[in-house]
Amino acid sequence: MSEVLPSSFRDPSGHLFRREGVLYRQVNARYRDDYDCLMGSGLYAALVKAGRLVEHEEVSEVGETPEPAYKVIRPAELPFISYPYEWCFSQLKDAARATLRIQATALKHGMTLKDASAFNIQFIGHRAVLIDTLSFERYREGEPWVAYRQFCQHFLAPLALMSNTDIRLGKLLSVHLDGVPLDLAARLLPWRCRLNPALALHLYAHAAAQKRFAAEPGPALRKGRLLSRTAFLALLDSLERGTRGLRWNPAGTAWADYAASADHYTSSAADHKRRLVEDWLRIAAPKVVWDLGANVGLYSRIAAELGSYVLAVDGDPGAVERHYLDPVRSPGERVLPLWIDLVNPSPSLGWAGEERDAFLARGPADLVMALALIHHLAISNNVPLPSLADFFARAGSWLIIEFVPKDDPQVRKLLASRDDIFEFYDQQNFERAFGERFEIRQVEIGYSAETRVYFNETKPAETFYGDGMYSGDQQFAIEVMAE
Amino acid sequence: MSAIHLLQGALEMLGPQSAPYAPRAYLDPGSGSILLQLLVAGILGGLFAARAFWGKIKAKLTRKPQEDPEEDASE
Repeated sequence: MSEVLPSSFRDPSGHLFRREGVLYRQVNARYRDDYDCLMGSGLYAALVKAGRLVEHEEVSEVGETPEPAYKVIRPAELPFISYPYEWCFSQLKDAARATLRIQATALKHGMTLKDASAFNIQFIGHRAVLIDTLSFERYREGEPWVAYRQFCQHFLAPLALMSNTDIRLGKLLSVHLDGVPLDLAARLLPWRCRLNPALALHLYAHAAAQKRFAAEPGPALRKGRLLSRTAFLALLDSLERGTRGLRWNPAGTAWADYAASADHYTSSAADHKRRLVEDWLRIAAPKVVWDLGANVGLYSRIAAELGSYVLAVDGDPGAVERHYLDPVRSPGERVLPLWIDLVNPSPSLGWAGEERDAFLARGPADLVMALALIHHLAISNNVPLPSLADFFARAGSWLIIEFVPKDDPQVRKLLASRDDIFEFYDQQNFERAFGERFEIRQVEIGYSAETRVYFNETKPAETFYGDGMYSGDQQFAIEVMAE
Repeated sequence: MSAIHLLQGALEMLGPQSAPYAPRAYLDPGSGSILLQLLVAGILGGLFAARAFWGKIKAKLTRKPQEDPEEDASE
């Protein structure tokens, strides 16, 4: 069984395919000379050594038609594929700077990046790596950078907007998959950004030039030395300075200060909860953990220290930013903080709606943690308990979940300014709903006498098939889980 | 966009006998983006070169005769 991945159809140099569960990349015959240059010039070795390019090995596998294959390579598989619209500000900034560094290294080896898509960068924990091995082509002295437009749209424009207008505009990248249109960015940015030299050139003037030459062909350029190497390097230097100069301070977002000021926790209660989580992580021994509602990653770190690769998902861009920038909470390359709103997780997007996978389709995880989370979904977003149980059963095999009752001060706060329409939100109904989808292995007191922490394992798929009460959507989830 | 027009004029003066430039690109790099890039990179490259040149002159002018590279290294 073999299938071409729907994410790699655009570039004729080659494509990704999966055969018997293994990921391969076909290098097409037309890309032969560029591939040989990548491998022969020392560029591949230099980038892999620097941890900037995904490693691969050449294999004897037969390629996928229609294009004749020059080689088939097997890239090292990544623990998780994330997308630019799920990254916090500093992740996008680091991805941008990694792209520029890769381009500078490529030039030294006589090559250049032919694309600068943010989707070509992936994070392994904190490390930004280029995953598209076929992004390079031989540099011809005097030629401009064909990926300049893409770099400005994929990186510079969203970073400028997140930094100067509103952090939430990072999500524009999920609407504009080929980067934020520069004229849109120019309209949304405050006037003072025109005084920023890098933005004045690469964003405002760039947007104006795009508009000017949108309908008519530009002046006929003649082949030859259009752009000297010095000018090329100066351009990269300017983009690097411009990117580096963009900053964002997360102070003031709802959750960024939450863990630091968590006055509702007593330290002994926190220790107790921490020990429970540690014990259960040891029993389940998960390879991949999704810490949903991770905040700044207190529990993500515990899972990472016990050897798991952890996605630390949070809907607050400030919390994700703090987490990403905190070297203590994100050890090594085993924690990947992601900015995903759990009440509206990333859908599948792109051509035919299948170029970029939905968040849940990139699972399931071996273990899901949902600590001090459920009241935000059940009360703030009115999600019924059985629906929550379904969601978590689709997300992973094991579940560590905390039930926070109505008399908890945090929940009281959520209910203070609205009707309490949640007569079913109590421990009994919680256990009934989750008992449908999970075997409840252990229940312990949480951080207060009223809260409970549960250690659950999803019921085997056949249990669900038997009673015929599940929808097609749920059946699909069960099949995914069973795979 | 007078700057673009200036560039246009300058580019048109480049060897009329050479073949027209067509970017090798599987995605449209955008003619406006290419032109703007040439203009911007030209200016930045000029500044780059000027800065390097000025740096060299400054180094020559400010170098004190008694300054010895070995002394510098021992500091």
